[in-house]
Amino acid sequence: MSASPENLVAILVMALAAMAAKGGGFIAMRWLGRHRFVNALLDHAPGAVLVSAAVVPLTQGGGAFVVGAVVGAALTRTVGGFTAGLFGAVGAVALARWAGLT
Amino acid sequence: MILPGLASLPFGIGFGVAAAQKGLSAFETTMMSFTVMAGTSQMVALDIWAQPLPLVALAVSVFVANLRYFVMGAALQPHMPHLPWWLQPPVWYVTVDQNWAVNIAEYRRGQGDLGKFLGGGFVMACIWSGSTLAGHLAAGGILSDPSMARRLGLDFVGVAVFVVVATILFRGKRDIAPWMVAIAAALAAKWMIGGNWYIVIGGLVGGLFGALRDLRSGHVRQS
Repeated sequence: MSASPENLVAILVMALAAMAAKGGGFIAMRWLGRHRFVNALLDHAPGAVLVSAAVVPLTQGGGAFVVGAVVGAALTRTVGGFTAGLFGAVGAVALARWAGLT
Repeated sequence: MILPGLASLPFGIGFGVAAAQKGLSAFETTMMSFTVMAGTSQMVALDIWAQPLPLVALAVSVFVANLRYFVMGAALQPHMPHLPWWLQPPVWYVTVDQNWAVNIAEYRRGQGDLGKFLGGGFVMACIWSGSTLAGHLAAGGILSDPSMARRLGLDFVGVAVFVVVATILFRGKRDIAPWMVAIAAALAAKWMIGGNWYIVIGGLVGGLFGALRDLRSGHVRQS
């Protein structure tokens, strides 16, 4: 349980910087209010962020990731809900790797 | 939130091993993970971690590496317009990828729950911090080999959360073009800039495209 004061100060600085990034958008929205353009942007931003976050790992992750994504999306649509899709996607990746896909 | 939290397990173990190699103690590693709670930025910070510690560079690199949370926080705020000031820092703290993804979907369906958002985030913080501690303690041992987690498909959990939540949020034809633009922008950003800027750039470009298209056609909805 050792800790140097310098390291703890650096960790505190990092924590404050992370909170500034996380809270910045939240605070900015209080000032920007509910402008029509902001409404329209926020109507599309969550989906755009999600597909952007998913697409790069999918293109880099190999065939097993693609199989997992397809199975996850299909299960979410057909069975409905988050849990079935998530477990199905992870199980499909494990099975695909067991079958020899990378 | 336990399964989405497990998304961080292989990365957390890897971070713990890397932190041990950089000379951080187990306490410092766990403390950093619990307070910063943003894996990518912690890994970036570890790259420049050297004595004397470059505090300004650390702050800037952590802030920049977490800019995607700026967009996520902006999207979240309209669902919590009357949140008391003392609850805002905890909400910012738990705004991390998987927790945000799951809960923004709930809020948009009118089923958002602040307790679930905060509680889920706390569970994820514990799993993340615990996995980095495990990685630190086992540095060089069996846990430093993430092949077991990979065989179980756990390295896919983080991406799977994004795919599943995007599928839930998908509203049909009106989302196709903005999402295609977001995907193209994200891939271009990854190719040209590198790092994790692709999430911010893809999200903003796709969102802007959708917003401008809707404004031109007069279809602006409440988010």
